[in-house]
Amino acid sequence: MTTMDRPDAPPVRTHKENRKWVGQSIRRVEDPKFLRGRGGYIGDMTVPGMLHAAVLRSPHAHARITGIDAAEALAAPGVHAVITGAQAAQLCDPLPDFGPDPAKHTWRCLAVDKVRYVGEGVAVVVADSRYLAEDALALIDVEYEPLPAVVDPERALADGAPLVHDDLGSNCAYERTFDFGDVERDFAEADVIVTDRLRWHRSGGQPLETVGALADFDHATGELTVHTNSLSFTSYLFMVAGTMKIPANKLDIRPVPAGGSFGSKLFATKPAVIAGMCSREVGHPVQYLEDRVDNISNCDHHGSDRVYDVRLAMMRDGTIRGIDIDTVEDYGAYIQFGVGHHGNALAQVVGPYAMTSVRYRVRAAMTNKNQQGAYRGFGSEVNNWMLEQMVDKAARELDLDPVAIRRQNFIREFPHFIPTGNVYDSGDYDGVLDKALELSDYKHWRAEQAKAREEGRCIGIGLITAQERSVFSATEFWFWFDEPGAPVTSMPESVTLKVDATGGITATLYSCAFWGNSPETMVAQLVAEEFDCDPHDVAIVYQGSKNGLPATGPGGSRTTVMLAGAVEGATAKIKAKALRAAAHLLEADPDDMEWVDGGFQVKGVPEQRKSLADIAVMLHLFKHSFPEDMESGLEDSKVFDHPYTTMPSADRKDLGVFYPFMGHACHVPVVEVDLETGSVSFLAYAAVHDCGTLVNPRSLAGHIVGGTAQGIGTALYEEFVYDDDGQLLTSSYLDYLIPSAMEVPELKIGHHETPSPYTLHGIKGGGEGGRMMAPAAINVAVNDALAHLGARVTELPITPDRLRAAIRAAKSRESG
Amino acid sequence: MPRHEVTLTVNGRTSTVSVEPRKLLVDVLREDLGLTGTHVGCEHGVCGTCTVLRDGESIRSCTTFAVQVDGAEIRTVEGLAKGAELHPLQDEFWDKQGLQCGYCTPGMLMRACEIIEGNPDVTHDQVREGIASNLCRCTGYQFITEAVCAAAARMKADSAETTGAQA
Amino acid sequence: MSGLVTIDTAPVAARSDRGADDKEVAVKPPPFQYAAPTSVAEAVELLGAHADDDARALAGGQSLVPLMNFRLAQPAYLIDLRRIEELTRIRTEGDTLVIGAMVRQSHAEHAPEVALGAPLLAEALGYVAHPPIRNSGTVGGSIAHADPAAELPAVVLALDAELVLAGLGGTRTVAAADFFTGPFSTAIGSGEILTEVRIPRRAGGHAFVEFARTHGNFALVGVAAVVELDGGTVARASIALSGVAPVPVRATAAEEALTGTVPDDASIRAAVDAAVAGLSPAGDVHGGTETRTDIARSYLRRGIELALSRAGDRR
Repeated sequence: MTTMDRPDAPPVRTHKENRKWVGQSIRRVEDPKFLRGRGGYIGDMTVPGMLHAAVLRSPHAHARITGIDAAEALAAPGVHAVITGAQAAQLCDPLPDFGPDPAKHTWRCLAVDKVRYVGEGVAVVVADSRYLAEDALALIDVEYEPLPAVVDPERALADGAPLVHDDLGSNCAYERTFDFGDVERDFAEADVIVTDRLRWHRSGGQPLETVGALADFDHATGELTVHTNSLSFTSYLFMVAGTMKIPANKLDIRPVPAGGSFGSKLFATKPAVIAGMCSREVGHPVQYLEDRVDNISNCDHHGSDRVYDVRLAMMRDGTIRGIDIDTVEDYGAYIQFGVGHHGNALAQVVGPYAMTSVRYRVRAAMTNKNQQGAYRGFGSEVNNWMLEQMVDKAARELDLDPVAIRRQNFIREFPHFIPTGNVYDSGDYDGVLDKALELSDYKHWRAEQAKAREEGRCIGIGLITAQERSVFSATEFWFWFDEPGAPVTSMPESVTLKVDATGGITATLYSCAFWGNSPETMVAQLVAEEFDCDPHDVAIVYQGSKNGLPATGPGGSRTTVMLAGAVEGATAKIKAKALRAAAHLLEADPDDMEWVDGGFQVKGVPEQRKSLADIAVMLHLFKHSFPEDMESGLEDSKVFDHPYTTMPSADRKDLGVFYPFMGHACHVPVVEVDLETGSVSFLAYAAVHDCGTLVNPRSLAGHIVGGTAQGIGTALYEEFVYDDDGQLLTSSYLDYLIPSAMEVPELKIGHHETPSPYTLHGIKGGGEGGRMMAPAAINVAVNDALAHLGARVTELPITPDRLRAAIRAAKSRESG
Repeated sequence: MPRHEVTLTVNGRTSTVSVEPRKLLVDVLREDLGLTGTHVGCEHGVCGTCTVLRDGESIRSCTTFAVQVDGAEIRTVEGLAKGAELHPLQDEFWDKQGLQCGYCTPGMLMRACEIIEGNPDVTHDQVREGIASNLCRCTGYQFITEAVCAAAARMKADSAETTGAQA
Repeated sequence: MSGLVTIDTAPVAARSDRGADDKEVAVKPPPFQYAAPTSVAEAVELLGAHADDDARALAGGQSLVPLMNFRLAQPAYLIDLRRIEELTRIRTEGDTLVIGAMVRQSHAEHAPEVALGAPLLAEALGYVAHPPIRNSGTVGGSIAHADPAAELPAVVLALDAELVLAGLGGTRTVAAADFFTGPFSTAIGSGEILTEVRIPRRAGGHAFVEFARTHGNFALVGVAAVVELDGGTVARASIALSGVAPVPVRATAAEEALTGTVPDDASIRAAVDAAVAGLSPAGDVHGGTETRTDIARSYLRRGIELALSRAGDRR
């Protein structure tokens, strides 16, 4: 740890006992409309005069565009417009980009003079129907001059590699090495250095609903209204106005429910810009919905794609001293979020272990693939996987029990600052592990494993212990640079609460798009807890970006914590006013009043009471019953800023606190490996998560199972595969394999609750956790199954090819 | 291209639409009949988001031209509830949190109808294998399976009651 | 599984061969003209009349429609066979099971005549994609589509079935061994349709097994086997493999190695090795040649053992 003067942490809170609604697995408030098929997704919206857009995509991974002839397409039935990339570049500026050097890796809604990946859009057609638009796409003639493609990140960084962006001068968009703690000392003093090379290939969220937008540009007012299933970072949506070359206060982006996201609809601006640009051109509302092929090849949200060279400094007794990480990340052709995925890793890079030093070298490579975006875990799940494979390897090399080596290193005192400077607010890693060992019937499976081995069957147990951070700060966008261009520090969330004249409560959400998370249910339960009402009686509305309060939205498992803070803040303001009003009405001293059961009453005199409804109707309608300075109405808002962010040190040896609410989990899958076919099946799966206090336990359990299912996909089935020429071989669901109900086992879920000292009710985020654990656990399980054969898999997904190759290699080592 | 008249009885209501032969059933339901409960997920028959019932059997409406089901009885999610009263499957999905984003839900509900209607004694394992035809990206299938089993048990008990009452 | 289709009309080997010359396609189908005749005679007449328009017969559509959605197939004329009632019948003629080409896969899967007359087919049908696909897909459609990874072509090959075709020139019968001419390519001539599948009843134990990476998805390898025992000796073995070559293949080396022997672990392994020796399945993202060969070896053994176990006591 550095010896830095740390700013004070927020005050440690005491948490309410005897909660009524927080902690209840109530039926979700969102569900009835979805159950009835009235979800109101973007594809369900029609407006009079609406036209349809379709995008022509590049069949080349890397090529110059030497000509586009759209004449025949323009003349096709039902076509209103064809816009090429060159034309689009006149109509719109580049897309919002948080990358290291947007001027040099410029990202536009359509390619202009060069295409950089298979699937990049080169032109858009607007027609009376999607069918007609696609008919017209086939009539557009594009002349390409193919260029050599680069698809391997390490080859992309080598001298002489074809450049993805000529202006960048290199395929390395970012490189830096960070040292935290005393790396030299820890490695010098180590008894054993455990090394490995690991490869995690890209998979992605692939929600069943693609991204779409319905845009309406009003030439009379110059205002652009866009409905879209991406609404996050409301605070940053003014950048879309910049792209559209309109004033920020002439843009309104309105949310609609999204059919899943898992990060891939986090700030998805391209469809909105394409639809907006088309609408402005044709003077009609235009709907642009990605189809599945559009989305797989061009979602701009592929997941992490990493090569790791790692060294772990170990003492013989199993103590981990430090870790030296060298990682190359394949970002694809653009880099919209910079190396933020590594910020997510650095937030919890040491896992639950008390090691004292970290070296982290990251190189961002550009290649001819679709770019990365966000995928559940946002790069921290990859770190979990890497670290747990290393701990597993260390245990084998030192002949230590996998459970014992983890306990040997557990952090036990909190708050704990890890070498990077981030803090773990609270935790009970032994408690989680104990529960997991019991829930998984660990001893039984170890016995079964031994028995099976004698029969020639390969059973493996994959016990891992790892972190799930929540609620990121703004600093992780810019602490990569010594002189950042925009060292932003705001990452708020806002809620407005209104009490109407009947005492009914309406909550307005900004930027808290519905993705399948449960923002409405969370807010309803939190409001019910504050106001003693029924959660199903709370009305929820969503406000678009215009007139919206500053807000960040979901991502990084931040929603519940941030909404809680905003609800608490808005409630405090409302109750303060209601208290004053009640005291005035009852002619009592405000200090003599207390909130009980939905109203304010005089302490000890329950007959002297005003319910919230009593107070509200008076405030709404009877101004003269109140003092001069009291305004009519009962409504207030809270802009809740991130409660615990500290700045990085100038030398970047301490990145400050940027992801403080640290959850933890233990996953224990039991697998059987079929040596003949290289396939993996599950015999059992237990998972225990600690996300602090839970608002709706069943909802969190649902996210754990769903996240684990996606982790199973990443570990065994899902990969965006590009061949040596950059052709995307997995361009449909026939080849991009999503787990069905038969690939996902029944999970036994356990909960452990170690509250955060800093948040309302001690809540931490937990939506990403399942996927942050499963790939690590499954890889450890497979290697556990193969260990007695001397085989080990270090590449995800673990396909039959990779498993068979590992088995064959071990056999030839044995016989050779 | 000449259009064809297609007559569909959807959730008990018969209508005739005039469509190109190439128009997919899912698009006819959503656009011509305004029933947007059936969703588009992949348009190549893999994900099952578009599942509806044709004459009691589940089909993929994204790989079916509307002309292919001229004269058929189609059931979609909009036909499950009776006014304010949810179908037991819908109610159990709600109770067990068998949905998160809701996008696969209509197709999943229609497939579940077929599974239960064909086999009121359906087991947990049979349900899980049965719903393997429909992808869900959110739930990991566990609470869906629970919901379908609960609905099956409830519907069996309800029909036993009805039979008992009539006896 | 079958019924679903790769996005290429190229063989399984080359599914990943899509080069830059193929424009990226979107997912609404192109326009076509449509007819739904009520008789075989009318259907073949329409096919003949519109041969120049790349007229195609439409069965269940579960292979063709996805191809059309991707615009990888663009027939200008579709002749829908669903209203031809005679094509939807299952009947038994002595020892032969006759299945109309338009019988839905799910119907055949559960039909008592099929359970009795061709249990291998009934078992294989359970592996074809998923029930919702099978409710639309047809027995004839899958066979005529001839996806190298499909189940039903391997089944009809193992059972020495006959395929009956009808065209303007009349009807003709083609043996399964002569029917599959290449990936997605059969003996069906221009202007002809498949009307029925004729399957001779077989004694012995049957087994259909396949390896797919996810449930209901494309099989990498499928094995269709019927083994007849006389006492403890193999009297007759018919084994076909899908997914290992451009067409379904009979594992004749394995059949010969087993016939006349009393099968045990060693002899089964020898039979399997002999069959696999000649194979060189083309690889793709789901499995390379070596992996596919390993899987074929494993599943061939499983299929043979399962068929034997159902044929009676094998020791």
